[in-house]
Amino acid sequence: MIRGWTGPVSVFGAVLLTVVITGVGRRLVSFVVASLPLVISILLINTFIYPDATDALATVGPFTVTGTGLTVALQAALRVIAFALAIGVFVATTDLDDLLSDLERRGLGRRAEFVIGSAIRMVPRMVERAGEIVEAQRARGLDTEGRPWRRARGLVPLAGPMIGGALNDVEERTMALEARAFSAPARRTPIRRFPDSAAQRAARWGLGLLIVALTVATVGGWLNVP
Amino acid sequence: MEWLSQQFGTRVIALMPVAIAVNIVLGYTVANVLKLPIYLDSIGTILVGVLAGPIAGALTGILSSLIWQVAIPGQSIGPFAPVAGVIGLLAGVWGYLGVYRRRPAEGGNLWLPVVIALGAIALLVLPIINNPAYNDPAFTVPWYSAAIIAVAVALGVGVVGMAYLRRDAAPAWVAVAGALTGVIAAICSAPIAAIVYGGVTGAGTDIIVAALRQGGADVFNAALGQGFFSDPIDKTITSFVVFIILAGMSRRLIARFPMGERAVGPEPA
Repeated sequence: MIRGWTGPVSVFGAVLLTVVITGVGRRLVSFVVASLPLVISILLINTFIYPDATDALATVGPFTVTGTGLTVALQAALRVIAFALAIGVFVATTDLDDLLSDLERRGLGRRAEFVIGSAIRMVPRMVERAGEIVEAQRARGLDTEGRPWRRARGLVPLAGPMIGGALNDVEERTMALEARAFSAPARRTPIRRFPDSAAQRAARWGLGLLIVALTVATVGGWLNVP
Repeated sequence: MEWLSQQFGTRVIALMPVAIAVNIVLGYTVANVLKLPIYLDSIGTILVGVLAGPIAGALTGILSSLIWQVAIPGQSIGPFAPVAGVIGLLAGVWGYLGVYRRRPAEGGNLWLPVVIALGAIALLVLPIINNPAYNDPAFTVPWYSAAIIAVAVALGVGVVGMAYLRRDAAPAWVAVAGALTGVIAAICSAPIAAIVYGGVTGAGTDIIVAALRQGGADVFNAALGQGFFSDPIDKTITSFVVFIILAGMSRRLIARFPMGERAVGPEPA
């Protein structure tokens, strides 16, 4: 069963509009480039091997390009790029610290804020640490290049010290948090406040309600999207 | 209520970001850099589930997927957050049931679980060996099949070796629990992969989807087949890794976590 073009095209259009309005287009290049392996995989596999598609357009070796497959591939690719761009716009326009402190003011617990914020900040540090571990193991004679099988073997000397070191940090972090009254029952008083106009608030609520309404309408069969 | 709040003490809150970062960094390396047919992206989730409880485990899994999607460009993991949640939830249940506890045993009590574990591993690998789609030379799948079989054999040797050397039945039960988790994860993730991405997710596992489709499977069954190819073996390894991590951590440290004592059991006499 093939879905129509309205869905993917309108989602893509809406995301492009936000890209143009926010003017962060140049910073999104890396998001699009990073999505290429996924997009290429989607295009190739669906175009050449779509189950039960018979409308052949061309034949390359043992594989056949089908019209159905090509349609599905392009729609899925459009959806995936729109998804990547939407996340890209969010990351490019929103500062993590600002977002978390505003969410805390709106009632997000300090535990949730700590888990999310510190996890995001920890990823690049752990990548750095993984690099250091690989260098150290290489200096001890570990082979990290060449055949996939050899690289897979390198996972054990990488993962071991990484997880071990990270777990050791947990103890120190617990002490540090406790020393700073992390489990105190009182709420923290936010000092920074962020501008939030009535129009923006209305737009947020409106968009949220629109999503719910559209989902209910399409699933319930009242709105037939071609 | 206390059962819930003790899963989120300061120590667990300090562990969760570490677990999430381990999930993301290892998972990204395995799937996008090494392009292996497994994931290894739930070590942190299962560790938190076992040490802190099912709800903390589920939250770690869900947050891992969502943060991964935002922190690293070009990923397809976000929509799979519910699957990661189920994995963490199950890990909490296994931890509560004491699957990861040391079980010194002799004779039948030791070798029966080992036989069950080997049977479970064989049950998961045999369909891969017998499926003609995985031997299609048009794809590099024979390499992948060989890799997954080698991993399964290594896992079997690990279970038998640990049982023999340490006289401990726990590794066998851990393998069974991991395999069960993997089967459930595969069933949960297939509809997401099929509906959101048409079954293609940009990782090393795509080649398996392609081979299954060429062999005549439809979008959903190709995604499900790929899940059954990768998930059970992946979760079995992950559970095994968590067992080894727990065995390496000091008991004093483990006992400070809410479910720590349940997870590792009483001090051996």
